Formats: sequence, C-alpha cells, structure tokens
Amino acid sequence: MLQRNFCFILFFAFLTEQIQAQDIDLNQMLEEEQKKEAKDKINYTIATFKTTRLINGQSIETTQQGVMDLKISHRFGTVNGGAYEFFGLDNASMRFGFDFGLSPKLMIGVGRSTYQKQYDGFIKYKLLRQSTGKRNMPISLALMTSAMVTTLKWTDPTRPNYFSSRLQYAHQIIIARKFSESTSIQLMPTLVHYNLVTNANDPNDIIAIGIGGRQKITPRISINAEYYYQLPAYKLPNTTNSLSFGVDIETGGHVFQLHFTNSRGMTERTFISETAGKWEKGDILFGFNISRVFTIKKMKKK
Amino acid sequence: MKLLVTILSLIICTTHHQPVIFSSNNGKLSFKSEAPMELINASSNEMKGAIDISKNNFAFRIRIRSFEGFNSPLQKEHFNENYMESEKYPEATFSGKIIETIDFSKKGIYTIRAKGFLMVHGIELERIIKSEIEITSTGIKVNSSFSILLSDYNIPIPRVVKEKLANEIKVDVSTTLLPK
Repeated sequence: MLQRNFCFILFFAFLTEQIQAQDIDLNQMLEEEQKKEAKDKINYTIATFKTTRLINGQSIETTQQGVMDLKISHRFGTVNGGAYEFFGLDNASMRFGFDFGLSPKLMIGVGRSTYQKQYDGFIKYKLLRQSTGKRNMPISLALMTSAMVTTLKWTDPTRPNYFSSRLQYAHQIIIARKFSESTSIQLMPTLVHYNLVTNANDPNDIIAIGIGGRQKITPRISINAEYYYQLPAYKLPNTTNSLSFGVDIETGGHVFQLHFTNSRGMTERTFISETAGKWEKGDILFGFNISRVFTIKKMKKK
Repeated sequence: MKLLVTILSLIICTTHHQPVIFSSNNGKLSFKSEAPMELINASSNEMKGAIDISKNNFAFRIRIRSFEGFNSPLQKEHFNENYMESEKYPEATFSGKIIETIDFSKKGIYTIRAKGFLMVHGIELERIIKSEIEITSTGIKVNSSFSILLSDYNIPIPRVVKEKLANEIKVDVSTTLLPK
C-alpha cells in the first residue's frame, strides 16, 4: 500500500518537473545570452563630436579610415567695425584644408590660410578610446602635433633671415569624454613653440590649457564652446585668451559650424597664442567652418 | 515494484530527451534602402533566435551596432547615432506565436505566419510576418522577407536626404536554429 502511494508521488513529481522545465521565457533567455556576449565585446563610444574640429581647435574625433574631409573655414572682421564695415563681413580671411583618415586611430591634415599666408600640417593619433563592455575606458585621449609656416615676404630682406624662423609648432593632448548622447566635454593642454619671437623677453614656448564642449539641442544641431587659457608666465605680451561660441549643424555628408570668436587665425599658434581681441570691447568675429566628407577608399567588410 | 520503476524511468527518458527549444546565435539579417539617389545595404550575422516547439512561440533579437555594410563609415555612424539611436535602443526584437500548428517532427518546407510584436527604435508594433520554415534532420531553417516603414517606428527622414533614404526598408532574414 505504502509502496503504491510512494510510486504515484514519484510519478507526479516527475510530471510536474517536466511541466516546469518547459515554462521558459524565450525573450528572457535570449536577453541573458546577449548580456553575456556584451561583456565579451568592447563597445567603443562613437561621435563624441560631430567633426574633427570643435570651433577653432581640434576635437577628439579623427577622420574615418579611407575618408577625405574637405575643410573650408572663414573668419570675418570684428563686429565692432560697425555698419560701414558691414559688421566685419567686408573683411574675410580663409583657410582651406584636407584631412585624411589613415586608420581608425590616425589622421593627418594639411591646409593653407590667407591670414599671414600660412601653410599648416598636422597629425592626430587616438591613443585611448572611450568604451564600455569588456574594456571600460572613461575617456578618449588623442595626441596632436602641427607645424605651421608663415610665407609672408621678409620685412627686412637685407639682414640674415632663416627659414626656421618662419616655423611654429603646436603639441596638444586632447582628453575627451562623452557624458551622454548630447553632452561631450574635452580638455586640451597645449604647447605652442615659436622658433623666433619678436622680442628677446618674449617666451618661445606658450603653454595653454583649453577646455571645450558641446551640447546637442536636436539630433543634428549642437551648441559648442571653446576656451584656451594661457598660463600667464608663458604667453606673449598684449594677447588675450581665445573664447568662442558656435553652433554645429549636421546634414548628410556636411557639417556646418557657425560661430563667434575673438580670434582671427585658424591655426593653433594664431588663435591660441596670438588672439588680441577682447569680447567686452566687441572684438568679436563671425566665422564658419564647412566640413564635407568624401569616401576615397571603401573599406572591405570585416 | 520493479516494473513500475522501469516504466517510470522510460517515461522520464523519453520526455527529457525531446528537444523543445531550437536556437541560434548567428542568424543573418540584412536590410536594403532603395531611394532615387542612393542604394544602401547593410547586414548583421549576429541575430539571436529561438523557437519553442512545444508552445509554438518564438523570439528573435539583434544588436543594432552589429550592422555592417553601408556606403561609408560616416553613414554607419549616422545610422547608429541619428536614426536608430542605438545607445538608447541597442536592440530590435520580434517575438510572438506561430499561427499555424506545425508537426515539428515531420521533415519538410512549410509556409507559416509569425504573429508577434516587432520592436524597432523603441516602438513596438504588432506584425504578422509570412515566413518559410524548413524542418530538417538537424534543425529548423527560417527564411523571411518583409518591409518596415521608418515612419512607423518614429525614425524621421530629414528633408535634405529625402532622395537618399527610402521610407520603406526591405528586410531579409535567414537563420538555422539548432536544438538547445
């Protein structure tokens, strides 16, 4: 009698166990598998900024591999020129340049500015990329070096003039973090080196720390700000710190950057260490950058 | 007593050895946008899927960041950053029930209707998707083609790229599910 009851209990126990085993939520099962896989993948943060420039200066972004980015930048005259100067629009200085993405982490660029007839070239390398998942990296970090040559004719051709006097260099570490889909901030400690300075007392090395960021107000429009603070012991006399505010508008393959700044130049040594404009006096210039990307070499599918 | 134990063991053996869930981790999903000025193709080999044959239900999910193809890396970035917002909505899913009753033990090709909720860009809509399943000796092959409208899933197309991005996206799914 006891044996028979025992057997029935066993039988039902096995039946119920079977029913419970079938009650699996497929969605949950797949979701858990996805989470497990995600831990094994590195999820790199993309699009910290919309393009490789913040306003005047470099952003953490590098041009993508196989892509050429045409850069056309204008800076007009100062707004306090008044109606006669059409608020600065009568005075225009321009830089055009080409940026190339050589690898996912490395880019180069060349350009020429009408301001002081400069040629410039730079290289930017992403040392660290912000990521989540298998590797948690809170920031992106890039190293940037540029060389600038002024090709204006010598003011005094009779004295010994050296080509090296025409050169300036800028070295920059860019540290950036994308805090959210709409907010990104970066720091740019910079060293600008002049081979030749005007006065014996002028420093040949300018040290500045830049800070900038962007806040998206719609998926394709953001407000940007950029400020370079020069260390007082390492700046040229009668210069001010570069401060700029702008708007980025992204449409398909173009990024339009419209901004107001107190810097006339578009290369590191001109806007970081030679800005003379004062915002409070109205030495504000309107300017824009247009960026257009072209895919030169279509990358093979992985 | 011995007979009862033998019968019980037989029941346990047969019921426990029947595969109920068929799944796959590397299904292929590709989509196509055919607009007057541009053709865009992209695909992913990371689609996860599962069918529970005892309850006739299914679930599929795919990670949006896994799509490759596109006409340029910038297009892939815009796909993730602006259109699909893959940081906010990392996956698209489709789950529900198969309308027809299929004998999953009989080999053959069947056309079935999968009825469930398709979630893309955070929006969930009910869909009935016609699919072809083939029951083989090893598993279940699933093939399906359907379209989705970007406007249904809250993905607006900016006027500037109106001629370069189609509102109707053609999707092709192909995967082989194996017993778990």
